[in-house]
Amino acid sequence: MLRGFTTILIKELKELIRDPKILIAMIVLPLVIFPVMGLVMSYAQQTATQQAQNSAQLILIVDNDGGYWSQQLIGNFSKATNIAVINNTTPQQILDQGILTQYNRTEFIEIPQNFTNTINAHFNQNPNITATVNIYSIFQEGGIFSNLGSSISTTAVSSFNRVVAPNILHTTPSTIIRGEIQQGVDPTQLSSVLYLQSIALPITIIILLTYSMQIAATSVAMEKEEKTLETLLTVPVDRFAILMGKLSSTIIVAGAAAIASMIGYTFVIGNSLATIQTGTAVDLAQLGLTPTPLGYGLLGISLFVTLLSGLALAVIMSAFSEDVRGAQALVGYLAPLIYIPALALMYLDLNSLPTAIQAVFYAIPFSHPMIASNAITRGDYTTVILGIIYVTAFTLIIMYIASRLFATEKILTAKLKLTQKKKKPTEQTE
Amino acid sequence: MSYAVEAKNLGKKFGNIQALDNVTFNIKQGEVYGLIGPNGAGKTTTLRIISTLIAPTSGTATVFGVDVVKQPDAVRKILSYLPEEAGAYRNLSGMEYLQFMAKFSAVDTTAAIKEAVEISGLGDRLKDRAKTYSKGMKRRLLLARALMTKPKLAILDEPASGLDVLHAYHVRQIIKSYVKQNGVTVLLSSHNMLEVEFLCDRVALVNKGKIVLEGKPDDLKTQYSSQNLEEVFAKVIGYA
Repeated sequence: MLRGFTTILIKELKELIRDPKILIAMIVLPLVIFPVMGLVMSYAQQTATQQAQNSAQLILIVDNDGGYWSQQLIGNFSKATNIAVINNTTPQQILDQGILTQYNRTEFIEIPQNFTNTINAHFNQNPNITATVNIYSIFQEGGIFSNLGSSISTTAVSSFNRVVAPNILHTTPSTIIRGEIQQGVDPTQLSSVLYLQSIALPITIIILLTYSMQIAATSVAMEKEEKTLETLLTVPVDRFAILMGKLSSTIIVAGAAAIASMIGYTFVIGNSLATIQTGTAVDLAQLGLTPTPLGYGLLGISLFVTLLSGLALAVIMSAFSEDVRGAQALVGYLAPLIYIPALALMYLDLNSLPTAIQAVFYAIPFSHPMIASNAITRGDYTTVILGIIYVTAFTLIIMYIASRLFATEKILTAKLKLTQKKKKPTEQTE
Repeated sequence: MSYAVEAKNLGKKFGNIQALDNVTFNIKQGEVYGLIGPNGAGKTTTLRIISTLIAPTSGTATVFGVDVVKQPDAVRKILSYLPEEAGAYRNLSGMEYLQFMAKFSAVDTTAAIKEAVEISGLGDRLKDRAKTYSKGMKRRLLLARALMTKPKLAILDEPASGLDVLHAYHVRQIIKSYVKQNGVTVLLSSHNMLEVEFLCDRVALVNKGKIVLEGKPDDLKTQYSSQNLEEVFAKVIGYA
């Protein structure tokens, strides 16, 4: 154990926990931000859905019935929007023959065999008999507002019911995930769950890194500003213990912030799942869309080493400032390196980007939790492990530089003035 | 004779600025030694070197025979440094601050804290957070922290600077009586010549990074036929 580490850690924790600004920023804000974000995103999704419904789109219909009522249904569709009709082709054949690509569609409606007979049975034999049309949609990972087209089909079927008979026709949504048809899985519900997941991680990364780095930087800068660091550096304490005490306390508070973020996030997800009808709940694990425990473990490690690298970087930058404001401003320059990868990788597939841009993303340590998040869903653990190794190496180098700074007078004398022409560290006199 | 502090030809450059130039002085054990001079003279730089915060560009310094550059950890165990305008942790109470600092230096933490409570004279206010303290209260707390462990060497940078009359009086009385009772060696800096006359056994007048005169206050006043050290300093640097 480093000499004085525990004493420093306890002092740092007391200072952090007793600061109302930190309590609000790290704990209260994440508890509030997710519910607010969930409401905003739900509203945005509803609006986008409505707009999609109102716009005229081409609907691809596969008619495997060919009877009177299938013609009526097709006619009903044609009044509402543009349609293309294909006869006597199974859903699997539609996929295998690349017909969706040919029409540039992500979904199609199948009118099954015996559709006409079923409706006739409803009128002639038993009004409880109802007919079904199948809606198949390709699930597009990553796109927040993908899979909205299915709601257009649902609307068209509803209008058929209004014209012919109430509740005579139902839709059975199915999702095509990675070329395989998943019967009975509603893509809209799947999307609503996954889009929240897709924004939760980047937001968590942004909150965790930004606030933790500000806290770490403030922790050192406050010591310089209040002139407590000078005193601390002259007592018999291991200077690496001072550094580790500050980093550890920040990690603990950041961990509390992560828990607060997860509580807020769970609240939103819980609300989202509550809106999904009973019996049609989406089992992401069964669909292969959730990571394995190993995947989650690797993601956790990736997040941790990234957090550590950010904190060490913040400590170094704060060493070059004279006061808290200066430290926060300096750390602020790192913000784009956190925001850009987090936000960009919400929408973009890294592998589809030009090699040079890929290299830039890989070089930024803060990209790696996002890269890991996408990779573990695909089962690509090699990318995650390589990322962890890279960020760990980066962190070790930064930690070494930070420990050297603490071991020398540079921690007191170095300062960086970005407003001056000379951008090299200078030193201060008495 | 072995000295409590022995500084030989100390030099310190910050970039192109020569902050200290060939500074040499010795402090006897149990002596109160003062560095006096205007702002920017190099007093704080000297104190920072002796207290292991910064390394000299040239020269050597030892504290009770221990080299401040080669064995800084050993030096930190026998000295206590009170920086100018130092602060306490805002969100810790005065008592928590003393407990925190005592854990690093004191063999008997309880005794050290008891000592600090007495030195500070802050009573129940020690339970309040440091951010509620006045400047004078904070200085008393920090002085108590610096002396509570009975260090072999106490380095005090402008110990009463900026304090009102009563707080300054308290601080000076504490230093005067405490060091005599406990045999603590003190190296202090000040630009308050009256304070230095009151506290110090010997003084060094520092100007532009150099020691321009050294001796006992009374001897220096006699030598320069001056009423006080202020006048001596002015005459030495050719200001009067």
